[in-house]
Amino acid sequence: MAHSRTPYGARRLALACFALLVVALFLLPNQIQGLLQYLDGPVGHVVRVPLEAIASIDAGVADRWAQYVALQGVREENQQLRKEIEWLRGQHNQLREAAAATERLTGLLSFKEQALPAMVAAQVIGRDATNRYRAIILNKGESDGIKPDMGVVTPAGVVGRVVKTTGASSVVLLVTDPNNAIAGLIQRTRDEGVVEGTQQGLARLKYIPLLSTLRDGDRVVTSGLVGGFPRGLVIGTITRIDKEEGALFQSAELNPEVDVSRVEEVLVIQTSYGQSTKAGAGADLLGKSAP
Amino acid sequence: MKFLVYLMLVLLLVPLQTTLLPHLSVWNIKPDLGLVAAAFVGIFAGELEGLLVGLAIGWVLNMFSAGELWISLLTNGGVGVLAGFLGRQVSQMTPITVGVGLLLVSLVSGIFAAMNFPHLDTSQMWWMIESIVFPQACFDGVVTAGLYWLVSQRFDVARLRTE
Repeated sequence: MAHSRTPYGARRLALACFALLVVALFLLPNQIQGLLQYLDGPVGHVVRVPLEAIASIDAGVADRWAQYVALQGVREENQQLRKEIEWLRGQHNQLREAAAATERLTGLLSFKEQALPAMVAAQVIGRDATNRYRAIILNKGESDGIKPDMGVVTPAGVVGRVVKTTGASSVVLLVTDPNNAIAGLIQRTRDEGVVEGTQQGLARLKYIPLLSTLRDGDRVVTSGLVGGFPRGLVIGTITRIDKEEGALFQSAELNPEVDVSRVEEVLVIQTSYGQSTKAGAGADLLGKSAP
Repeated sequence: MKFLVYLMLVLLLVPLQTTLLPHLSVWNIKPDLGLVAAAFVGIFAGELEGLLVGLAIGWVLNMFSAGELWISLLTNGGVGVLAGFLGRQVSQMTPITVGVGLLLVSLVSGIFAAMNFPHLDTSQMWWMIESIVFPQACFDGVVTAGLYWLVSQRFDVARLRTE
């Protein structure tokens, strides 16, 4: 038997403290959590310093790697992208025409103009400390006006939802996490459902009405009814439909629009449509500069 | 002095766990360095310090996770106390015994966390244990055994534990 220098009293104190902690956590969970969350702010600011320093070194190394080392196949990719740009230019012209027509028709129907949501740009500085959740850590927190339940997006689509904040950072639960639920609708058929993450790292649209005529390739967007997302942000594309015999609803597997494993910068939606008073106060999704 | 060392440990664990380890993950699984650190402090400094440092690690790491705070506190604090207790009771501590010990503790705490995971049915819970909890426990055990071996090569661990 090894003889530690820890005195017997200290051992008893450790066991007593641990037992007290277990009892307190079971009897007063909210109070303990509230007390520690009160301290999260100042501690978060202290922890942010090494976290941001290492995250910036990490980003610098990744940049150098991407710019100088991992250049294989760039020529072919460049040619492919040029072709894609040509195609997108054509699409862009068509959409501008459609937007102009929609604007005229909206005016005719006297619809209330929808304001752009106010957003904050943030950088991804880390991933969830555990393996059990799919979450990212942002370099902006409560002091930047970020609160739990705010939606997080990129110009490509939905990333997730803020679940926890400290003074200088926030944790975003990704759209691919099974604990996340976002109100969505199928863009073509307008059928609503709830988008949840799957254990395989994809997403699933649940509670789709049985009579819905959805099909593979349909896009799913946010419905804007619940939560921190405005209507019409792309969540993903349907890749498989599951319709079980005797079930009340059907469900569909989605391929998320945003590759959440590679996302580096995001926008946090502070106010949804209808809550923002001035369109100018919000940031344009596509025009927002990097944080 | 010791307080500063523990403070540095806790502060450095956050960027290590959240920023650097994801690059070294195997099949998207990374070891829980918080658990490993709490165990080492428990082994070499006793139950009380193991508990306090484990609680601090659990609290600070939980600020950067979507997980529940109480699970993080109980797991890391509990590992600190348990490691301190075992460090005192087990006379021949080798990298393998330490690694296997932490593997078991990580497995138990992971199963406990999976059982408390919201909205999981039995099949999903088993999937989580097979795909996340068990590989992570193995990873934790290997990292702990490796670190203990490194420490034992550099220092006289028996003296460190009994001093």
